[in-house]
Amino acid sequence: MSATLDPPARRPGRSRLARRRRRAGMLLSIPAVVLVAGLLWVPIGQAVRYSLTTWDGYSAPTWIGPSAYTSAFSDPIVHRVLENNALLLLAVPFAIGIPLVIAVLLHEHVRGWKFFRSVYFLPTAISWVVIGMVALQFFADKGILNQLLSDVGLGFVHTDMLASQYTALAALAITFIWSMIGTNTIIFLTGMATLDPTLLEAAKVDGLSRWQTFYRVTLPLLTRFIQFSFVITVISAFSALFSLIFVMTGGGPGLGTTTLEFFVYQAGFAQGQFGTGALYGIVLFVIMIIVGIGQLRLIRPDDGEGW
Amino acid sequence: MAATSAPVTEAAAAAAAPGRWQSARFRRRVAAGVIFAAMVVVAVVMLYPFWYMGDNSFRNQSQFDLQHGHSIAGWTQLFQDLPVVHEMISSTIVCAASIAIILVVSTTAGFAFAKLRYRGSGLVFLLIVAAMMVPLQSVIIPEYVNLAKFNLTSSYTGAVLLYAALGAPFATFLMATYYRGISDELIEAAVMDGLSYERTFLRIALPLSIPALATVTVLQFIQIWDDLLVGYLFLPTNDRTITVGLAVLSSGRTTGIPPLMAGSLLSAVPAIAVYLFFQRYLIRGLTLGMGK
Repeated sequence: MSATLDPPARRPGRSRLARRRRRAGMLLSIPAVVLVAGLLWVPIGQAVRYSLTTWDGYSAPTWIGPSAYTSAFSDPIVHRVLENNALLLLAVPFAIGIPLVIAVLLHEHVRGWKFFRSVYFLPTAISWVVIGMVALQFFADKGILNQLLSDVGLGFVHTDMLASQYTALAALAITFIWSMIGTNTIIFLTGMATLDPTLLEAAKVDGLSRWQTFYRVTLPLLTRFIQFSFVITVISAFSALFSLIFVMTGGGPGLGTTTLEFFVYQAGFAQGQFGTGALYGIVLFVIMIIVGIGQLRLIRPDDGEGW
Repeated sequence: MAATSAPVTEAAAAAAAPGRWQSARFRRRVAAGVIFAAMVVVAVVMLYPFWYMGDNSFRNQSQFDLQHGHSIAGWTQLFQDLPVVHEMISSTIVCAASIAIILVVSTTAGFAFAKLRYRGSGLVFLLIVAAMMVPLQSVIIPEYVNLAKFNLTSSYTGAVLLYAALGAPFATFLMATYYRGISDELIEAAVMDGLSYERTFLRIALPLSIPALATVTVLQFIQIWDDLLVGYLFLPTNDRTITVGLAVLSSGRTTGIPPLMAGSLLSAVPAIAVYLFFQRYLIRGLTLGMGK
């Protein structure tokens, strides 16, 4: 194995060098291994252990075993939380579709497109906390949305989205879509930069309309990038919204905006149920792994022919 | 009304000769105009929150309620009543320390996995990179138990270590990818000249990887500066970062909106500055995950 890395064999002391190289390799990888194993893999193991117990974090844990999982999955509260996660998935097509359209338009390179690109990507630098605070003002009873509605003569459509469960989740989803625009637009722009311009020219020569070109040429060639943004978007929806929920709704009203990741925090730190909290965390981890692996099977392109 | 600008002439000519409506050039111009207008609309949607923060930070509470009139009340209140200066310093310390650790472990390990392979190094690499899949929430309770046990939550240490661990997997992946692009001959030549492998890393590989270091730094800076959960749970109350401080104030629902908007804008300034100066590094890091 290491032989392929060696310089031409004329060197003297080759095996001694190889030994030194291996030793240096092990030495240099130690810090990363210690850090990642100690602060990520060991805790995952601990979380699995905690998840099989009832534990308040102070007194001795009570062992329950695998039945902790079966009883969690028959809990209607858990069903409600998982429903929120599932509903949040409805935002994913928008969080991918809108940036896809934006990227296609930017790719037309009309005047000022570089400026627009910078502007669209700017929110990526902003924390979810700040985004959440403005979103709170946007959706509030006396907020920007209602002001806008009455400004365009739709004052009778007074909304108070954060006041009831499903509309609050919708408000969260809309904010999430807005936040993903920058990231996904950049992903698609990168993808479009890899497209062969002669293909698009050929499509034009063949008399394909803009829409046909997009649908038949651009889209199939972007499959890999759409997959990538799909994974990023789902992972964000399930594990990056803690701050947004914390600031916008605190998980409410009721359980209206409590997703699995927020539920971990609530169970563990608001209610002091370390065992149950850890269990939800493990469920989330398993979902993340399934998303990461499953997407490869779900939308694998058949050699570039549609998807 | 003689032609004052090109588009006007074009439109006039098109109107005069209906056949020209069909001209490809004219249609292209209309399409470009429509696209431009659409992009302006999107830009307004994306920039509106920034304008809103700026606008409402320069109000006092009653001006905010009426949405009329401006003053510097939001800003004076922010600096007088809230510990934002200390929080900005905390944010800076936490970011700098975490990023320093991430850079050390990711460059050394990245170089080892790319150039100094040993038996099982592929597996070790996989173990580190696979940790990217671990969501923070999945380990947050054990972290709390462990960091409290070693008494690391009364200072920056616990949060810094956790940020470093969370950032290390992707950074190591990125650095390993980068170092694979350096030729083996270059490394071996340095070793033949009598340098140890460790020194070769320090003197040859590390200086070559400055663009990759910039990418890691920018990505992690934004990530850590903007984080809430780790800082909220593991930093002592007196040493909160600006993001945590704002989130706690906001969720308390007792602080007025103008100072919160001023604080939001203040907290966003460093991240925006980094973004504006290092945009291309950020974009490179983001798209690198897509591989070839």
